[in-house]
Parts: sequence; structure tokens; C-alpha cells
Amino acid sequence: MKSALRKLGPAASTVLSLGALLVLWEILARLAQIDGFPPATEALVQVPLILGERESLASIGASLWRMFLGGALALCFAVPVGLAMGRNKRIAQALNPVLTAAYPIPKAALMPIIMLWFGVGDLSKVLVIFLGVSLPLIYHSFHGAHAVDEKLLWSAMAMGMKPVARLFKVVLPSALPDVLLGCRVGLAMALIVMISSEMIARQSGAGDLLFNALDMALYGDVYAMIVILAAIGFVLDWVFERVRRRLVHWAESRQDAMVPGGGV
Amino acid sequence: MSEPMIAIQGLTKRFSTADGRKHLAIDDVNVEVAEGEFVSILGPSGCGKSTLLYMVGGFVAPSAGAITVQGRPVTGPGPDRGPVFQEFALFPWKTVLENVMYGLRQQGVSKAEAEARARALLDMVHLKDFADFYPKELSGGMRQRVAIARTLAYQPQILLMDEPFGALDAHTRTVLQNELLGIWERDRKTVLFVTHGVDEAVFLSDRVVVMTRAPGRIKKVVEIDLPRPRVRAELLVNRRYQEYIVELEQLIEDVHLEAAGA
Amino acid sequence: MSASNIFAGERLRGTAASVLPLALILLAWEAVCRAGLVAPTLLPAPSVVLLRWIALLPDPDFLHHVAQTMIRLLSGFAIALAAGVSIGLLASRGGGGLLEPVIRVLAPIPKIALYPAFVLIFGFDHASKIALVVADAVFPILLATFHGARSVEPKLLWSAWAAGASRRATIFTVVLPSALPSILTGCKIALLISCVTVFLAEMISSTDGLGHLLIRSARSFRIVDMFVPLVTISTIGLLLNAALVAVRNRLLVGHGNHR
Ligand SMILES: Nc1ncnc2c1ncn2[C@@H]1O[C@H](COP(=O)(O)OP(=O)(O)O)[C@@H](O)[C@H]1O
Ligand SMILES: [Mg+2]
Repeated sequence: MKSALRKLGPAASTVLSLGALLVLWEILARLAQIDGFPPATEALVQVPLILGERESLASIGASLWRMFLGGALALCFAVPVGLAMGRNKRIAQALNPVLTAAYPIPKAALMPIIMLWFGVGDLSKVLVIFLGVSLPLIYHSFHGAHAVDEKLLWSAMAMGMKPVARLFKVVLPSALPDVLLGCRVGLAMALIVMISSEMIARQSGAGDLLFNALDMALYGDVYAMIVILAAIGFVLDWVFERVRRRLVHWAESRQDAMVPGGGV
Repeated sequence: MSEPMIAIQGLTKRFSTADGRKHLAIDDVNVEVAEGEFVSILGPSGCGKSTLLYMVGGFVAPSAGAITVQGRPVTGPGPDRGPVFQEFALFPWKTVLENVMYGLRQQGVSKAEAEARARALLDMVHLKDFADFYPKELSGGMRQRVAIARTLAYQPQILLMDEPFGALDAHTRTVLQNELLGIWERDRKTVLFVTHGVDEAVFLSDRVVVMTRAPGRIKKVVEIDLPRPRVRAELLVNRRYQEYIVELEQLIEDVHLEAAGA
Repeated sequence: MSASNIFAGERLRGTAASVLPLALILLAWEAVCRAGLVAPTLLPAPSVVLLRWIALLPDPDFLHHVAQTMIRLLSGFAIALAAGVSIGLLASRGGGGLLEPVIRVLAPIPKIALYPAFVLIFGFDHASKIALVVADAVFPILLATFHGARSVEPKLLWSAWAAGASRRATIFTVVLPSALPSILTGCKIALLISCVTVFLAEMISSTDGLGHLLIRSARSFRIVDMFVPLVTISTIGLLLNAALVAVRNRLLVGHGNHR
């Protein structure tokens, strides 16, 4: 059984275990007989209904768009900051305590304060996602840049490369495996911050849909939304991991490459 | 003649490479080692010496052939065969004393007795003042002494040594060679000793098995008929010792030429 | 506080040098508020927040909320630790073929999305929040254990087997200690995730705890009281992280200089 599963290859075994989890859900729910825990089939039939509805589809789309914006902004900001910190002790020393103190603060928890400042619109939501993605990105870029081989930089200096050029032409490529690892963690963070901030703000978006269904006791819809969000998380991670592998096929695989949320 | 301590018959090992092909690492090796004998396996790196030793240890399964120890087929690791690796392989989270006590404790020896025996062994390898140190706090030579003591602690009948002094500097190596011979003279354990150093093999061994490369086969077995106990300074001016060195160097040279020509 | 540095690539030199920039930021923030450049209803001065925090520390009501948060955080983390290490070890020894694909499916799911389901199944009390903390914290520990146990130096295992240790004994005497540095790194991540998760769960639906305090203050626009729970959870996170670093230094005396 075990070796048979291994022979199937990762894709097939993933599909198989997904099926097994759904069957397990179905059986547990039928055994438990709780209103708030409907069987998988009852939730799954709601998925096409929710996705077929223009309003909820637009809401989920808007969530993803904000997530994309926040993530893209973070990428432009956090990677250079992290790389600079990794190469310059002064900058690292200056920013380190600030980032250390900010680390255990849940970024989505800033939602109420940021909404006071910037209103209930998209700006607040994008900003919170930006903050959530930035920290892990800075963290991993920092580590990547920190570990860059000094001799590469010496040769670049000998060739007369200026500091900013060195950052993007030498440090960034060498640190790319770490930066991409940070991106993967950041992607997971973006989704988490998006959902939780929408659950807190209750204005619009996927997280809001989820809690509206909960408030109206539409349990099938609640679980259907969970399935949709889980699927988004899974697909985004899968796609990104493909891209990452392609980009850094030359680097040896790292053990922490599978750690999700590696730096909240 | 009595039954050999180790009997290796038709031993063959194939590895599958990354691209799915088979790589023949060891091909039809036959060796017998008598009880109390010190046998070296000599060959260039990559010729399968370690693999051969790991199979005797029961860590790696042969593709074909048979290994018996005192007439019993080898099916896995056992405390009758104690390994000593080039990388020392000490438990980094245990102190020197705890490392040496490990085997005894695993075999159910009481803590007090295990400690007493471990301390005696540490005394023997000149490390009695380092009992509470961690391996990372020791030099390479000291670490290998600990590893040897750890293996001797559970009193294996056979020592399987895989280039144990390969990672040490030249001076430490000769010191440990002398110490190993001292220990061996005392209780005459059977030793299978892997090395790529000609002088090391001649200095220590009763017999030297020379191996070829890709696939690993036995090229020649050379008896080392030199008086014991051996003293390095005396051997260096011994004609027969010099002849053995020349003979083995020539054999190794041939192995290299064959590999290059193939 | 340098021991609890998140960016622990290397010890930073003087504490004074490393705290100075943070102090400067706080001073600038203070000055902006004092000068009246921002409305105090939007951004309170740090000194005001600090004074309120100190005033609240002995307050039994406030401490009750802190205690509720701590109970959920620590029990969730403890369950995640026990489950993560045992499942990770199991998966690394043979069970991997079956468990790995399941983990591959479950790990990238944003666990916060499961919270409504936990509320429906476990109710509004401690259990649903603890369940969410477990769901979030278990994966870093599990994966770290799995990878740590998988990358045990084979010669250490061989040495143990040759010394007469049984397969079962080597799991506890070789595999677990070898994987310990990796497990502790997983714990560090999991601990931070636990802090974040418990706070969010309390913000989304709760009647007590630090997260609830923030929401309660937000409803009545008491901006200073909104900052207090954030400062508190950050402090808790840093203290727990420092405790973990201390434990790690004790446990890893023999190991090389692992990050
Ligand atoms: N686990 C393995 N998988 C594939 N090939 C191996 C493995 N172990 C050893 N080999 C190959 O077998 C040959 C012999 O290796 P080894 O026994 O380590 O040689 P030596 O100890 O003489 O240097 C080498 O070509 C090596 O690449
Ligand atoms: Mg070798």
C-alpha cells in the first residue's frame, strides 16, 4: 500500500489523499449528526452555487485583487530592505529591534486602528496585507543576503560595480532561493491576513461572506466557503512552488522549504 | 584449521544511479579473516572499500553473495561487530562519558557498572580528564579516541574500521596507529581496517587486501610477515618493510593506470 | 533582549546601539503627538499608551483577559507540540508514504478559514480557539520534526544499532535528539503563530481575552485602549520567545552552532 502510493507519484497521491480526507469528513459528519457539521457532500454542492452567484464571485475576486496589490507592494518594498539589512550591519542594527517587536503582533489585528486612519475602503485592507507580507519577506531576504559569498562581492567591487548595482546584480541573484522562500511564506501570509482582516472588519470580501453565512446559520454555505478558501490556498501554493522550483533549480533544496508560515 | 571469523563469498553490490542505471560498486569479492587477525583493505578512493565494510557491519545489504561471521549469516548490525567511522559519528548531545556508556546501557548494564567500565576505557585512551566534555569541545584525534572507546566498551569480537585516521593530521595519525596496535596486541580482536594509505596498511596488518576500482574487485592479497610488536622506528630501516611498501605502491599505481586506461 | 532577537543571524553588538533606533522612533512619535500634529483620538503618544498599560497591569479585570489568552495560547501550543512531534516522528519512520500527501494537502490551507467550523463544532468558549491555535501551530512543528528526523546522520544510527540498541530505542536515543535543533526551530515559528492566532480568534468572536479587549475598545473609539492589547501580545510573544531561546540553549549544549 505504502510503496504503491509512492509509485503513483506526488500528484496522484495528493489527489488520493484529498479524496480520503473528504470521505473521512463525510463519515465523521454522518456519525456526529451535529447541525453545525454537515457532511462533505452537503457543503460541496454549495460550492458551484456560491461561485455561480455574481455578487459573491465579485466579492471573492475583490479580495484576491487586494491581496495581489498588498503582496506586490510588499515585494517592491520588503525585498530591497531585507537585502540591504543583510549586507549592511548598520541598517540591520537600526531596523532589527523594530522588526523584532513587530513580529508577534498579528497584522490583521491592526485593522481597527488602520480603519480609523484610512477609512473602511480598500486602502486599509491593502495596507494590512502589505504589512503582513512584508515581515516574512524582509526576514528571508535578510537571511539570504547575509549568507552571500563575500568573494562574489569582492570580484564585483574589483570590477567597479556601485553599491546599488551590487545589491541587484550580485546579492539578489545569490539570495534568490531565500527570497523566493520568503515569497512563499508571504503568499500564505497574504491569504491569512486577507481572510482574518475581512472577518474582523466585516465590510466585504471572502472572510465577510464566510461569517455572513455563519450568522444566517447557512452551515452548508459556511463549509462551502471554507472549501473555496482552502482550495485557493492550496492552488496558490502549488502554482508558486512550481515557479519557485523552476527559478532556482540550480540551488539545492532546503529543508525549511516546506515550512508554512515560517515567520508570521 | 578452525572456522574463519569472517567469511565473505561472492559478494557483489550494485547501486542504482540517479538516472536509473545500475552501477556495479563491488564485484565477486571473496575474503576470509581468521580470528584475531588484522586485515587491511587497501584501494583508491571510490573503489568500494567503505561499501564492503558496511555490508560486513550489516548496515548495507549485499546485492549478491554471502557474509558469515563465526558461521552465522549477517542479517543486520550486531554488537559482535563494532564500527569505527572516519567521521567519528559521536552523539553530539552526549558527553564523552555518556557516549562511551551508551552501548552498555542499551544492553542493560547498570548505570554504575557502565560508568565504571567507561571510565576505565577513557583512562586507557588517555581521556580520563575529558569525561564531561562534549565531542565538539575535543580535537579530531580525541574524538576518534572516544569513538574507539565507545566501540570497545561493548566488547565486540570484530572491529570494523573505515579509514578511522583519515581525517587526522599526520602526527596524530601515527600516535593513534601506535595506540591502536597497543590495544590490539592486548586482546587480539579481529580487525577489518579500511585505508588508502600504503604505509598505514603495512604497519598495522597481518594481511593487506588490494582492491581495484570500478568495479571493486580483489587485485591481490599480500601477507605482511613482519615481527610484532611493531615499532615504527625499527620498521623504517627494515628491508622487508621497505619491500612491502614498494610492492604495494606499485600495485596501487597499476590500479590507477588500469582505471585510467579503461 | 538580544537573546530574543528574531533576526538571530548573529548577536548584535552593544544593546545600546541596537535599542537606540527604536528609542529614536518612539521619541519622534512622541514629539509628533506632543506637537499636536496628529489628533490624539487617532494616534496616542507612546508615553500615554505606556502609562495606561502600567496602570492596567495590576487591574484584576485586565489580568483576567490576559490569563484567558495565555490559557488558550499555551494549551494550544502544548497540544500542537505533542501532536506535531509524534506525527512527525511517525511520518519519518515508514508512515511517511501515507502521511506526506495528506500533509501536502493540509499544510497550505489558511487555517483561519476553519475558525467558523471550529466555532460551530466546539462552541464559542476556549475549545474553538485552542483548536485553531493547534491547527495553525502543528504544521511548523510537524514538518520540522519530519525533516529533522529524516536527515539524521545514518552513521549515528548505525553506531547505535551496532551497540545493541533496538530500533525503538534509537528513536528516543538517536532520532529525537538529532532532530531536536530542527524541532526547536519549528517551535519558535509555532509559538509566534500561536500568539497571532489566539489574538485573531479572540478578535473575531470572543467575550474575553486580549483580542476581545481590542475590539471592545475599537467599538467605543478608545484609541489608547486599542494599543494596550497590542503592546501586551507583543510583549508576551517576546517573553515566550526569550523563554524558548533559554530552553534551547540548555537543551542544545552539545550540538554545534545551529541557528
Ligand atoms: N548509497 C550509494 N548510492 C549510490 N552509489 C553509492 C552509494 N554508496 C557508494 N556508492 C558508490 O559506490 C562506489 C564505492 O563507494 P565507497 O564504498 O564509498 O568507496 P571508498 O570507500 O572506497 O572510497 C562509489 O562509486 C560510490 O559513488
Ligand atoms: Mg570510504
